[in-house]
Amino acid sequence: MTQLDLSSPLGITLALLPEILLTTWAIIVLLVVSWRHETVEDSRVAGWLSFAGVLVSGAGLAALWVNQVVPDGLAQMVALDPFRYAASAIALLSAGATILLSLGYLEREHLLAPEYYPLVLLATAGMMFLAGAEDFIVLFLGLEVMSVAVYVLAGYNRANAFSAEAALKYFLIGAFASGFLLYGIALTYGATGTTNLSIAGAQLAGRPLPLMAALGLGLLLIGFGFKVAAVPFHMWAPDVYDGSPTPVTGFMATGVKAAAFAALVRVLLETFPSADRIWQPIIAGLAIASMVVGNLIALAQRSLKRMLAYSSIAHAGYLLVAVWPASRTGAGAVLAYLLAYSLTTLASFGFLSALGRGGEREVTYDDIAGLAATRPWIAAGLSVCMLSLLGFPGTFGFIGKWYIMTAVIAEGQVILPVILVLTSVISAGYYLPVIMAMYMRPAAAPARFDKVRLAPAAAGALALSIAAIVVFGFWPGGLLDLAGRSAQTLTQTGMPVAGR
Amino acid sequence: MTSLLESIGYGQWILHLLVLLPLLGVVPLLLGAERNAKWVALVVTTAEFLLSAGLWWVVTPQQTGMQLISDTPWIASWGISYRVGIDGISLVMVLLTTVLMPLSVLASWHYITTKERAFYALMLTLLTGLVGVFIALDLFLFYVFFEVVLIPMYFIIGIWGGANRLYAAIKFFIYTLVGSLLMLVAIVVLVWKIQSATGELSFSYQHVLDNLGALGNTAPWLFTAFALAFAIKVPIFPFHTWLPDAHVEAPTAGSVLLAGIMLKIGTYGFLRFAVPFFPQVAMSTEVSAIMVTLALIGIIYGALVAMVQPDIKKLVAYSSVSHLGFVMLGIWAGTMQSVQGALMIMISHGFSTGALFLLVGMLYERRHTRLIEDYGGIARVVPVFSLILTVVALSSIGLPGLNGFIGEFLVLLGSFTAYPWATGIATTGVIFAAAYLLWALQRLIFNRLDNPENEHLSDLSGRELAVLVPLVIGIVWLGLYPAPVLQRMEPATRRYLEAVRPRSAPPENLRVGAGPVAEVRP
Repeated sequence: MTQLDLSSPLGITLALLPEILLTTWAIIVLLVVSWRHETVEDSRVAGWLSFAGVLVSGAGLAALWVNQVVPDGLAQMVALDPFRYAASAIALLSAGATILLSLGYLEREHLLAPEYYPLVLLATAGMMFLAGAEDFIVLFLGLEVMSVAVYVLAGYNRANAFSAEAALKYFLIGAFASGFLLYGIALTYGATGTTNLSIAGAQLAGRPLPLMAALGLGLLLIGFGFKVAAVPFHMWAPDVYDGSPTPVTGFMATGVKAAAFAALVRVLLETFPSADRIWQPIIAGLAIASMVVGNLIALAQRSLKRMLAYSSIAHAGYLLVAVWPASRTGAGAVLAYLLAYSLTTLASFGFLSALGRGGEREVTYDDIAGLAATRPWIAAGLSVCMLSLLGFPGTFGFIGKWYIMTAVIAEGQVILPVILVLTSVISAGYYLPVIMAMYMRPAAAPARFDKVRLAPAAAGALALSIAAIVVFGFWPGGLLDLAGRSAQTLTQTGMPVAGR
Repeated sequence: MTSLLESIGYGQWILHLLVLLPLLGVVPLLLGAERNAKWVALVVTTAEFLLSAGLWWVVTPQQTGMQLISDTPWIASWGISYRVGIDGISLVMVLLTTVLMPLSVLASWHYITTKERAFYALMLTLLTGLVGVFIALDLFLFYVFFEVVLIPMYFIIGIWGGANRLYAAIKFFIYTLVGSLLMLVAIVVLVWKIQSATGELSFSYQHVLDNLGALGNTAPWLFTAFALAFAIKVPIFPFHTWLPDAHVEAPTAGSVLLAGIMLKIGTYGFLRFAVPFFPQVAMSTEVSAIMVTLALIGIIYGALVAMVQPDIKKLVAYSSVSHLGFVMLGIWAGTMQSVQGALMIMISHGFSTGALFLLVGMLYERRHTRLIEDYGGIARVVPVFSLILTVVALSSIGLPGLNGFIGEFLVLLGSFTAYPWATGIATTGVIFAAAYLLWALQRLIFNRLDNPENEHLSDLSGRELAVLVPLVIGIVWLGLYPAPVLQRMEPATRRYLEAVRPRSAPPENLRVGAGPVAEVRP
């Protein structure tokens, strides 16, 4: 246990060590690529350099985590607790995997502008600020840093009209969402006179929620609803996910979602624990709508990428179920499920990016028919991903869903888990056909798959992800304890979370 | 024998080995050559059978309760551990599994010609899952095994199945998933309720069984979820519609294992979990009425639909619905004879229906048609085949002296006191069974040999005899001398009945029940 005085310059610097390392590194890479930005070689250098940056930032994060750094007194601006570290670790994991998957992809698609990689790093720094924010201002800054970088990444394939459409849609909707969020922050500030999450929570405790704060809460939920793509704020997601370069889609579906969920959990449990009677029904409604709508529409898709886009809406619904309990067990379930979902989704988009050309919008179920015969490893890996997304025992996805159910049932709520499992059955209707197409249907033109190839870096990242999905599916013990412990420290002000 | 087994510490490692061995066998199978795959599979499954045979002597009839219990923490903070054990009921199911598995491998010898490595690897994985289901004593572990067996079977149907295999495979998967996921919620609620009452978080079967009082008014809901999962698996009418598709489309080995073992996971689930966990609900008048009615509908409906099938494989598939109806009736009658009879049907149905599917598969390999009308009079061409088919069909009908009779007789006898009317109706099911099977037999092997294509059918090969003869021996042995099997199941059955029957109930059921074991002895 190390205490850091956050009011001193040194203290705040150390507290932000991972973010500062990552941002500095991004600027260095940016400087490097301003000299070298022409050949394939340059792009590769930028990629590996950025990957090293992720590792360096990860080392900084590990230093904070291992030394169990806590603030001396009340946390100002940034949180210093394992919940932040865990969420940041997921963001870094997502960034690292995205970089490895992009290395071969960018070369293949001739997207040779190496500024791509610093943008990933900056977006990740934004995610880490967002996930670690203890202050509404930091939260908003993190959100914007992340979003602006991701807008650019979404439109990175300039030659592709759909990519441009994705970027524009994401930008407009993102600006809209930021507006809601900012207005919500302003109203909450108006009601409490502070932008610190915990102090605002202390102000709101023990009395009925003032109208102004209630409005603020509602607007915040709308803003977060857009960011995590929960129904009915999901309209942008399919087109944006569909049009973006596939590794970026994976990054958006995991990193952005993870950071937004971490911030949502922190705001709800630190600032509005006393108002859980107000926000719990809203979260439950969003969760049910996301699970039902996401899964049903995914069922109707022919394109794999669009199917995964809708399925990620459904997964936002599952995560909202984990937010619902307003408990630390629930927060632990959010962390565990985010990790399971991120690993699986990144791997799914990684495999998908190996399968197609020109943005993979056109890869349908029919196109992967008979894949197992010529590309057995890709087929096997993608099958594991599908089973994990489905939540089948023996995969990490199952453990995640189990954790969510445990957390919700511990509050005496059974309706949400029942809807969760029933909608999971619906999802079998679109995850299984992927496996069926690859293994059980004959290939229309086997020569098609000759071009299906994974770059070595991507293959390594995917193999690791699949191994992790299976290993954590069977031996989740240590990881679950870690998630549970990380969530225990969420509220530091001594503000009891409604006695739970 | 017992002392020999004890001297090598058999009891300590056998259950773990039975679960692990098939998985270990997958490694050399996948590394080896394609043409060696079936040999590896045969060696592993035969070794599994020989190893499991020792359980027959180790699981002693004198001892009640679970034996060879072993408990290794798995996810400690959630109260989950790798907890396995075996009693008489588990014993017979495990042995049935290990007997049918090498025979299924042999039956696939020439039937499976593509992707052999993958096929046999899936068979071995399935074996692990099936053995695991029957010995798991932790609800989480049981659930994992319960689900894991789905995947290999899904692939076996979907890759090596018939023309309509994709539809059959996904239907089979999704039907089972609906029930099992609701059961998953029920398991979590069940354990949470018990944790709130006792303060101990544990998914242990025994822990749940000891603290059922904590459930209160949630019991009906939990029972519904468990019962739905198992009812789909059995399947009980009206949840049976996946069965004809899956059984008909699956390759022979798949059909044998589906009918022979996987259906019994459902009835086993009722006996092991659904009924003992919620006896007041399960044995209440309303639930009993519903279950007995559905069992009767299954018996009659299955038999009637089987009668009109032009496809012999479909006929056998629907006959399973009918037979499993008897099992459900036996379970809900809740007397010593009826439950013993239900267990006995579970075993003998594995033998006779397994053999029927094998015979149908052998016929199909020769003529590539399963339509009854394409055959006729083949008894003259393939006498050995016809003889075995006749014996097996008679056992399925329930001819005294063969295995099918014992179970059905015990169920009808045991159910009569509880449900005389229902038993009366169920008895007609036996008559229908005779009708559809004898009629099919007549059209297949008797009548005139009028199709020239049937004139040159080859009779059973040595390999095919090696598959069928053990089953026929089992059919005759169980029919003539079922006492050792009944003896081994008796303590477990008695324990089950004690758990199910309220303490205040008159002990007559048990008294009467002690008898029939002796009565049935020839």
